[in-house]
Order: sequence, then C-alpha cells, then structure tokens
Amino acid sequence: MMVAEIKLPPVLEIIRGNIVKHGNPLAMKGTEVAAWAKELKLPERGDLLFYTGGEYQLLPFIDSLVSTMTLMDQGSKVFSLMMGARNIINKTGINAEKLYASVLAKDRERFNSISYKAAIILQKLGYDLCYAGKKELYSGALLSELGFSEDMKSYAVKVAEVLKQSGAKTIVCLSPHAAEVFKFVYPKLIKDFPFEIKTFVELVWDKRHMLPAIKSSETVVIHDSCRLARELAIDEELRDILQSMGVPFREARCNRKWTTCCGGPNKLLFPDISHTIAARRVEELEETGADLILTSCPYCLSALQGGQAKDKDKDNKIKIEDLIEFLYRGFEA
Amino acid sequence: MADLQKEFNSYTKDLNKASKDENIKKAITRAVKSYRETTAETLTRFPHTPAMAEEVREIKTKSIANNSELLKQAMESVERNKGKAFYAKDKQEALEMTAKIIGVGKTIVKGKSMLGEELAIREYLEEKGNEVWETDLGEFILQLNHEKPMHILSPSIHVPREQVAELFTKFFKKEVPPDIAQEVAVVREFLREKYFTADVGISGANVVAADTGAMVIIENEGNVRLSTGAPPVHIVLVGIEKIVPTFQDAMKVAEVTWRYAQYGVPGYVNIISGPSKTGDIEKVTTYGAHGPKEFYVIFVDNGRSDMAKEEEFSEALNCLRCGGCMYECPVFQVTAGHFGHVYMSGIGAVWTAFVAGGLEKAAPLVFTCLRCGRCVERCPMKINVPSMIQKLREQVVDG
Repeated sequence: MMVAEIKLPPVLEIIRGNIVKHGNPLAMKGTEVAAWAKELKLPERGDLLFYTGGEYQLLPFIDSLVSTMTLMDQGSKVFSLMMGARNIINKTGINAEKLYASVLAKDRERFNSISYKAAIILQKLGYDLCYAGKKELYSGALLSELGFSEDMKSYAVKVAEVLKQSGAKTIVCLSPHAAEVFKFVYPKLIKDFPFEIKTFVELVWDKRHMLPAIKSSETVVIHDSCRLARELAIDEELRDILQSMGVPFREARCNRKWTTCCGGPNKLLFPDISHTIAARRVEELEETGADLILTSCPYCLSALQGGQAKDKDKDNKIKIEDLIEFLYRGFEA
Repeated sequence: MADLQKEFNSYTKDLNKASKDENIKKAITRAVKSYRETTAETLTRFPHTPAMAEEVREIKTKSIANNSELLKQAMESVERNKGKAFYAKDKQEALEMTAKIIGVGKTIVKGKSMLGEELAIREYLEEKGNEVWETDLGEFILQLNHEKPMHILSPSIHVPREQVAELFTKFFKKEVPPDIAQEVAVVREFLREKYFTADVGISGANVVAADTGAMVIIENEGNVRLSTGAPPVHIVLVGIEKIVPTFQDAMKVAEVTWRYAQYGVPGYVNIISGPSKTGDIEKVTTYGAHGPKEFYVIFVDNGRSDMAKEEEFSEALNCLRCGGCMYECPVFQVTAGHFGHVYMSGIGAVWTAFVAGGLEKAAPLVFTCLRCGRCVERCPMKINVPSMIQKLREQVVDG
C-alpha cells in the first residue's frame, strides 16, 4: 500500500489531545463531569463500579460544538479555537466555564441528570455502587475508534489505574462504547485487567422482576444501538425489560442485529451527512406509529435528536428518550 | 505532505451535495427496497444459499492463501486451452499489455468490470486512438454522460429515465422519448452494429477456475455474450483474487455471488475457457469458428498480493462484489457512489487503500464509514469491514 504522510483535520487532533491531556474529549474538568453525583455520596471503593465515562454529561457540549461546526469551515481558525477552547483558555486565561455555558450548553441539566437517574435506578434494584467521582476518566473509546492506537496504549494504563483504585470486580457502563472498549480492547492493552464488564441494560435485565409496572398510554419503539446489538449482542434484553413493565412496544423494520445506525459516529467530521442519516433513522422508527423512541446509548440519543431537530416542519414530533430516563419515570410514578 | 483537511473539504462538499440530490434519494430508496425484497424472496426460494456462502468463504480464504500456486495453474490451463495468459503486476503493466494486444485504430466493445474502472482501461485505450464502447446499459449511459459509476452493479442507478431520454436524444441525434423500453431499444440497435464490427471484446470475470481455466461471467443483459462472442479477439482482465481451485468451486462462488447480487437467477452465466474452435471437418482443430479466434487473459495484481500478505486485510479479497453491503450502508444510502473512490463504501475504502489510489485517497472514506457493522450482517463472506477501517485509521494517524 502506498503510504503518504497525511496531515489530519484539526478536529481529530483536538479530540485526541483533549482525551490524552484532560481525560475526556472536550477537556472538561473532573469536577464538572462528576457534579451530578454530589448528593449521592457514593463511596470510591466497592465491588460494583458505576462508570459514566462522562459521556452523557458531555453530550450537550458535543451537540453545541457540532452545530457550530455545521456553520463553520472546519479548517478555519475560529473552528480550531472552538474545538480547543480549553487548550486555548488554559494559555490565555479566559473563563472556560463562561465560554462553554454561554456558547454551548443548553441541555446541560437534562444530560447531567441521566447519570444520576441511572445510579438511582440501580440502587433501587439493590445494587451497591461505588464511583470514582472527579477522578473518573473517559474510556478512550474515541481514541481507539479514530485510530489513535499509540495514544490509546498509554492512555488505557491511566484509565485502568483509576478503575483498579475502586477495588471493584465488576464495572457497569452506561455507554455501550465504553463497555465495548473495556471488554474487547483493554484486555489486549493491559496485562492485568480483571474486571467483569456489564452494561446498565444487563444489570437492569438481571433484576427485571423488581421493575415497577408502567401504566403508559405511549407506545414505544426501540432503537437498538449498533454497539449494543451487534458487538455486545444485547437486544432481546431491552424487549424483556419493557415486557416486564407491561409497556407496549413495536419493532422498526430494521431492528436488533439489523438495526440502522443513528449516524452518530461520523458526526464530528461530517455533521451534515450524520444529520441526514439520523433523520432517516428517525423516519424508520416513526413509521411504526410509536410515540416514543427509546435507546440505550448516549451517542444514539444525541444523534437521533439532532436528526429530528433538522426536520423543522413537523409539529407532531416523536419523543426520544434514553432507557434510563424512561425507567426513572417509572420509578417516580 | 497530503493535507487531509483540503481533501476533506472538497470531498465533504461533494458528499453533502449528493445527500441533497433528489435523484439519488429516489433511486437509492427504491433500489434498497427492491434489493431487500428480492434477496429475502430468493433466499427463501433457495434456502441452501447461506450454507453455501459459508462454504464459499472457506474456498475463497484458502484460495487467497494459496494464490500464487493457483495463479500458475490457471495460467497453464488457459495456455493449454490455446489461450494466452499474462500476469500484470500493476496497473501500468496491465494497461500496456492490453494496448499491445489491441494496437491502435481499433473498435472495442467492453463489458462492465470494476477492474476496468480500477485501471481506467477505456480512457487509456481511447487515448491510444481506439474507439471503446461500454455495452452494459448503465455504463453506456455513464460513458455518454462522462460520469463515474454510482454502484458497482447498477452504475447509473442515479440517472432517471427523463435524463436518459435527454442524453440519448442528443447523442443519437433523434428524438428519444422518456420511455424505458424505447431507451433500451435504441441502445440495442446502436450496439448491435458495434458487436459485429468490433475488432476486440473486453470483459472481466466473476470467478476463475484454475483447473480448467474457465472464466465465469454473470450477467443479465446479454451484452457480455455478444461482446465476448462476436468480435475476433476476446481479452479478459481479471484480478488474481478471483481464482479458485476447481470448476465446481467456481460454480459455488458464482451462485452465491448472483444470489446476493439480487439476481435470483441470472439471465446468463457465461463460461469461457479458450478461443472458439471446431473439428468438424476431418477432425482438424481449427480456431475462430464462430467466436473469437484469439483469447487472452490478463491476471492483474496491482496491490492484491500485498493485501493478501496482511493478516488484517486479506479477508477483503474474499469480496464477491455482490454489492449487497452498499444497499445496507447508511452512508451509501444517502450519497451513493460519492462515498467512494473507484471502489465504494466501507469495503471500497479498503480496496481503494490497496489497489486504487492508496491511503491518501482512501483516508476521507475511512473516516466517513460509521463502522456500524450492518454491512457485515449482509455480507455473504462476513468480511469484517469495521475492524479493517479501524486499522486503516491507525495507518492514517500514524503515517
């Protein structure tokens, strides 16, 4: 193969740099990422480590960045400035929180609360959770997915270190991307990686007999996440969970292993195409006549919402929620 | 140093434009629906297919591992059949060999071939002063329209009948209405004359049997029959990865290919092993009875043996080019062949990297792929494209 030296688009370098230097793709502070857990006072050590990877918390920021990108030439200086906000801020002393809050954050509250809700649900199902708090690091899934394998090697060591401090036997991941990378990539990179990796969905499924019945007039359709259905082979579990709560649901044309991707994975480099793909998946799900789309992946949640937002003409929009939000409503009612 | 950002910018513009193209949207939506329905129906009708696909996967994997032996055997078989066999190590060699056989000032009728696209053989032969006609209807339309194929099996999938009518009216210098039957008829009439006056016919092959030297070519239109049967010379350009050990293996590969290519049962399966011959007068074998007197096979490497050597990528050579993955690809569904460089979609990114432009051309494709994995669900060879894409990204990143 012909191999030429290739200069990468800045967005990739910035994401890489942020993960490696700051422990998450957007260079958020650990305290910001862990803010949702303040009240819960979860211990740092235990058998079952609750792992957010900051992924739900970061979603609104990613979304705002993407909408900025859609309007901006990726090669422009302003763009690099936006993406490297924290990098630049650190050098020049502009207030990062202010910049992020005013320019980017809008659904901060909602997405921060997803991790909180997930923890509450698991606690109600009888799980004792521990959490690394501000020390928690992003899994590095993007490093691996984008091809930064060299960076991933050293980054994974840092992440594994934090995971080990918990003394946990099992790690429960909210994001299937994190679960995938822990399950399939980490054991190849880290000599001693003794963890059992579970997803939030699996833990709920194990205790589905304890789930509250949900009396809802809404009909649900499941959007299977690619990672969950194809890589982790978790699809029937989602249906079982709904069934045990007595929730009526329909199936999209393309479901389970044949699910259609939400478009999320190429959002950073090709936001327009990504949105178009998301909009088409939303259409597929809408065809079922359901009122509510449920998914169990932060990127699917964000991408499907993005696809829907693009379709401005519709007034009767189908609702899109994460399974966590839906379950939590059930527990609250 | 290649600045990927610049490549990305123009490529992204092209992708975005394609995603807003109503013709592409309409055509692909229709094609995807029809692909899924026909495939589901024919897989029910021929339920042995998935098991046969697994068998073919093994045949192909072993054949790729044993490629140099099979190539030798296939070339010997072709020669034994009184054909001429050549090995072209790269694109330039393949082009020069072909041009040397053909010469200048000739008329050539050509069947559809992805390898032909990879080599840009038509353009090359035209530059050398020949007249080359694409005989597959879709390719013919693109030839007149100066466009590149948008799908490996349905190259002009994005051109609706109205545009075809406009194009034909201009080219044939007579009114051609936007009526598909009439559009087909004018091309039939035009090309019929070309088949019988052409000096050379060029085709690819879907699979090659090493033991007999048989070239198996699947088609529906009948253009391959005519292109390979009517002119006095037939040249086959085929990738070395297409060779399998036996004739029986080749039949299995062919059946799996057409089934996943939505053909159900193809109109024609051509099996060509040598020049046309007769022994009807005094049992004296004489060549060039009704079909070609001369038969040439050029086995093209052009990066394939390098691919075969790489454990992480060799599986990509199992690709049957059925095109099934493209119908499943969410990116392809909104952009068609714009998500490609010669070869299309995820698997196309891998092929582009090795045989059609290198990593630099493949890089934008490599990052467009969602790695969602639905192509793998469809692929009869279960080629793990997402994993290859990730490996290619590593190569882009690490240089």
